[in-house]
Amino acid sequence: MIADFVHSFQSEWIKQKRSLASWMVIAGGFFTPAIVIVIRLLYHDELPRIYAADGFWQSLWNASWESAAIFFLPMGAILATSLITQIEFKNNTWKQVHALPLHLAVIYVAKLAIILLMLALFFVLFNLGIYLSAIVPYLLVPGVSFPSAPFPYANFLKEDGLFYVDCLPIVALQYMISLRYRNFLVPVGIGFMLWVGTLGSLPWKWAFVLPYSYTILNYLKNEPHGKAAIPLANIHGLAIGYFLLFAIVGFWMFATRKEKG
Amino acid sequence: MDCLQTIDLVHRYGSQTVLDGVNLRVPVGSIYGFLGPNGAGKTTTMRVILGLLARQHGDIVIFGQSMRTHRVAILRRVGTLIESPSIYEHLTATENLALLQKIYQCPVHRIAEVLALVGLSGTGSKRAGRFSLGMKQRLSIAIAMLHDPQLLVLDEPTNGLDPNGIAEIRELLRHLNDEHGTTILVSSHLLAEIDRLVTHVGIIDHGKMRFQGTMAELKNLQHTARAVALRTGDDHRATQILVERGLHPTYDGKHIALPPIADHEIAALNRHLVERNIDVHEISVQRNDLEAIFMDLIGART
Repeated sequence: MIADFVHSFQSEWIKQKRSLASWMVIAGGFFTPAIVIVIRLLYHDELPRIYAADGFWQSLWNASWESAAIFFLPMGAILATSLITQIEFKNNTWKQVHALPLHLAVIYVAKLAIILLMLALFFVLFNLGIYLSAIVPYLLVPGVSFPSAPFPYANFLKEDGLFYVDCLPIVALQYMISLRYRNFLVPVGIGFMLWVGTLGSLPWKWAFVLPYSYTILNYLKNEPHGKAAIPLANIHGLAIGYFLLFAIVGFWMFATRKEKG
Repeated sequence: MDCLQTIDLVHRYGSQTVLDGVNLRVPVGSIYGFLGPNGAGKTTTMRVILGLLARQHGDIVIFGQSMRTHRVAILRRVGTLIESPSIYEHLTATENLALLQKIYQCPVHRIAEVLALVGLSGTGSKRAGRFSLGMKQRLSIAIAMLHDPQLLVLDEPTNGLDPNGIAEIRELLRHLNDEHGTTILVSSHLLAEIDRLVTHVGIIDHGKMRFQGTMAELKNLQHTARAVALRTGDDHRATQILVERGLHPTYDGKHIALPPIADHEIAALNRHLVERNIDVHEISVQRNDLEAIFMDLIGART
């Protein structure tokens, strides 16, 4: 079974080559850092002061994650999950996949694992982009010195890990819906409605029970202006719980479909 | 011994019965033509066999094992092509085969071999989405053959191919059967397309098997005359004489038509008419060709 999973995973990886989802991960990873670079180059007069500040890296991190945690990460998870699943519908290949000598659990988990790997790849590229958004203006603008503040590796890794965990419920729920519907617009539409609904519910004290809220709440946890209610529970634990729940229900729905492909 | 056997398969969509007790028996080493008009239940049968549709009633036994309990082990030895081509259009032909090579763990050189067999060796970096329908169909056949399966289940594999392509695929399937002993279950709605290929035939219509046997058994049905037509110097008197002989002729103003009778009876009838001074100008016997038998079996001819 483990060998089957490895082989199926390798097969799923080949399917991602040149797919829209893989291009979106690459473009999404560098989108916010590219905007940061452009803005910094436009307002280059401010750069010597910004680069000399003690909290340079944390400030850059916050600026980069603001749009990512609230907008791009939830939207990216919704789109990437739906696009990866859509590959089989679009190419009429579910019938081929279900006629392969693989247990249904292997098919289900291998595809989910690829989505999680693509998400991890997005995090790697996004972090690389953040670093480049610090280096590029330094290299291009004369008179800007390299940031004197130490690079906070441990803190960044920890925050990356938390954001990754926080978007898992979105992935699992989108995966469940995407496997169910041939029409790409259904999972994307449902995902966007849930995300917009979550944004509107942030001041609500029970907003933390909404599965699409965790990346946003994690970013706003130190926000002093009360944009979101303070969660009454450990949101990261809830995120893992929702992920497991959606993944299990999703598998049950996948395995009990009367018509496969 | 049967390679594939379905036992009393029943499948319903709501209140509509699509398969009504289908008992297929595909012998080892045969090329089994599964025939029927569009909507007869061929594709549904194949989808139920492969588990793409949930089995509602009956059982499926392949290589002597039940699909219910040995699905994965059985599918390792089966190649499939169901309906339209199943290929990843953003990938090349080689990549399409490579992702399945990972699953089947067959030798990597099989990819080049099957591409050569179906005439797609030269497609290089061209993405499958830019292939013609015929090329996509060839790639689907290559996919089905990749792991050198013992049983091929092919649903209308020549769809989209030109006459030359159909002949090539026919030769390829015959070669696989002759040289590798591959058992092949191939569906079609055209008897003429596969009558030179198959060794066994199953004919399905409205979800029921109308005929199952060897091609020779099907051809034996040809030897019975389907109808006899007579033209004489005095058709009215000839008709009376035929009635007196206990036959049931009908006269349409030009010919006297008789229901099917054996060859020796036709000869005796001719002698009798001549002895009664009736000039026999023409006796024509309409024999069954395979297409006519097929049409009769599916109730499409009156």
